[in-house]
Amino acid sequence: MTTAIDIRGITKIYNPESNQPVKALDDVSLTINDNEFFTLLGPSGCGKTTLLRLIAGFEQVSGGEIMLFGEEIENLEPNRRPVNTVFQHYALFPHMTVADNVAFGLERLKKPKNEIVATVERVLTLVKMKHLGDRRPNQLSGGQQQRVALARALAPSPKVLLLDEPLSALDLKLRQAMREELKQLQKETGITFVFVTHDQEEALAMSDRIAVMSDGEVQQIGGPTDIYEHPVNRFVADFIGDTNFLDGEIVAVNDDLVTCRLGSNSMFEAENSGAHKIGDQVTLFLRPEKISLSAVGATNGQDTRPGKVANMTYLGNQAAYTVDMGDGIELTAQARPQENGKLPFAIGDSLAVGFSARALRVLAQ
Amino acid sequence: MQKSSSPRKSKKILPVGHYRGLGGWTVFFFIFLYLPIVVLIFYSFNANRMVMNWGGFGFEWYLKAFQNEDIQKAVWNSLIVATVSTIFATAIATIGALVLARGGNFRGKTVSLGLITLPLMVPEIVTAVAVLIFFSAIGMNWGLGNVIIAHITFCIPFAFMPIRARLEGMDTSLEQAARDLYASEWETFRYVTVPLLMPGIVAGAMLAFVISMDDFIITLMVGGAGSTTLPVYIYSMIRRGLTPEINAVSTVLLLVSIGIVTAYWVVSKKSQTDTVH
Repeated sequence: MTTAIDIRGITKIYNPESNQPVKALDDVSLTINDNEFFTLLGPSGCGKTTLLRLIAGFEQVSGGEIMLFGEEIENLEPNRRPVNTVFQHYALFPHMTVADNVAFGLERLKKPKNEIVATVERVLTLVKMKHLGDRRPNQLSGGQQQRVALARALAPSPKVLLLDEPLSALDLKLRQAMREELKQLQKETGITFVFVTHDQEEALAMSDRIAVMSDGEVQQIGGPTDIYEHPVNRFVADFIGDTNFLDGEIVAVNDDLVTCRLGSNSMFEAENSGAHKIGDQVTLFLRPEKISLSAVGATNGQDTRPGKVANMTYLGNQAAYTVDMGDGIELTAQARPQENGKLPFAIGDSLAVGFSARALRVLAQ
Repeated sequence: MQKSSSPRKSKKILPVGHYRGLGGWTVFFFIFLYLPIVVLIFYSFNANRMVMNWGGFGFEWYLKAFQNEDIQKAVWNSLIVATVSTIFATAIATIGALVLARGGNFRGKTVSLGLITLPLMVPEIVTAVAVLIFFSAIGMNWGLGNVIIAHITFCIPFAFMPIRARLEGMDTSLEQAARDLYASEWETFRYVTVPLLMPGIVAGAMLAFVISMDDFIITLMVGGAGSTTLPVYIYSMIRRGLTPEINAVSTVLLLVSIGIVTAYWVVSKKSQTDTVH
């Protein structure tokens, strides 16, 4: 597999000479493969956009190297880097038509005129905007502007396409539709996409691999299921999806299972992720959808624990239940409404709570 | 206990007509403001030699004014001064605005901004005396050239303000997008910054032009014989005695000013509609 971008020990400090220097990136290293949909995911201020702007060349690195297909680019001007950017607010040139916007990069590259015309037509067709080539950007809807911004960035056939939260300005339905299209576009063009977002759902839905970032550092890199099922620390587990965290102490270690004491004396078995010993203070995590809730006596012989509904939030397609397990332990779990729309449990109901030891994982502190 | 009026009602903005007598005051205010000008225009069509004695309607004072060689010379001087100083002032103001809005943070940025706009606050007579003393101290005597240099200096802040306002409202990501799409710094300036800045530049230039055309005090002080501009000439005509010719010339000058201000308004209106977010 070819490496598209190799980030080697990048550090970025804003206002280094002032008395309030801000460290946006701290010794970040990662590699992005060719023809990959790679996502930088994290809360605002985690450094994901800074990293994208360093690759594009809008900011100067304070230390480290950026290699693009084996070529060092971190000191090149933005116009010398064969990468293009889709900006968060599109940044379409308001004084030019859609077609002129798309042709801008090709004209600067001094492509022959007939080639420019053909390419503009091809990419506008690709994003389904061919019929609106004569319009001005302010005559287009948000979704249409988004497509033009994509077409403009794709027209010069960049080696890597950088996308800075491009879907954040669109409404929910459009955002979901554009997810599919972006993923499709990446496959069709074979161009490496580097996508920045703070939306974990978006990241899980589109990415081949995700880098979860926080406080200027990469926390974990992996495929969507890796990140969701095997988060390396509490931050990643918390940022991606809903999670139950349970703090306890390891009291027994088997080959593949550990036993933890939670609360005063509740024992929970969890998958052994290795390197844990008796007496370690650990955090267990358990995804709500891994917990089954059933009425007392209707458990089909499954191993369950007793619980009581403490709170409930109705979400339409499901309801989120807070279940009091006794001993100061609370779990969040989900249940689907019945076919007639009635919710299976009410606040105060007693329940049988079931989950496998394989679903409980020990997180590094 | 009396029931208080509903909060919705009390929050409603009262139409101005609610205040009794306000309409009358408004009318009085506009009369106060514009009656002298209306009278001036009215008597410019007076056929009588005396300004204030109505002798019938006629265009003869306009014809006379247009045939007066001194007025022609003064108009010509005014146009030369206004045009040349507008070009220079706008160019300098544009460069200044670019540095202040796009040059990042540098030492003395706030001071520079203050120094550029300060001339708007300095009494004109102070500037006029200062410039006059300066020119005579260095022994510079270029006639109209002196006037043009003085005009450039006080026109810069007027040209600067709309240009800077436009630049501040311009998203820097547009320029970044251009750089990203393989445009050099010069190409970015040429194809993105300048076209987007144009409404501001045009507005600044028109403002500078009007200010220069209308200037009296500085021109009077600095301009020697042979560099009389229209406002200065009108003043000298008044000293020789009022004739409707002055009214006619003033009316023409007023029309030119109104024309330019209207054009300025249309341009700035347009620049608002194609706002760059």
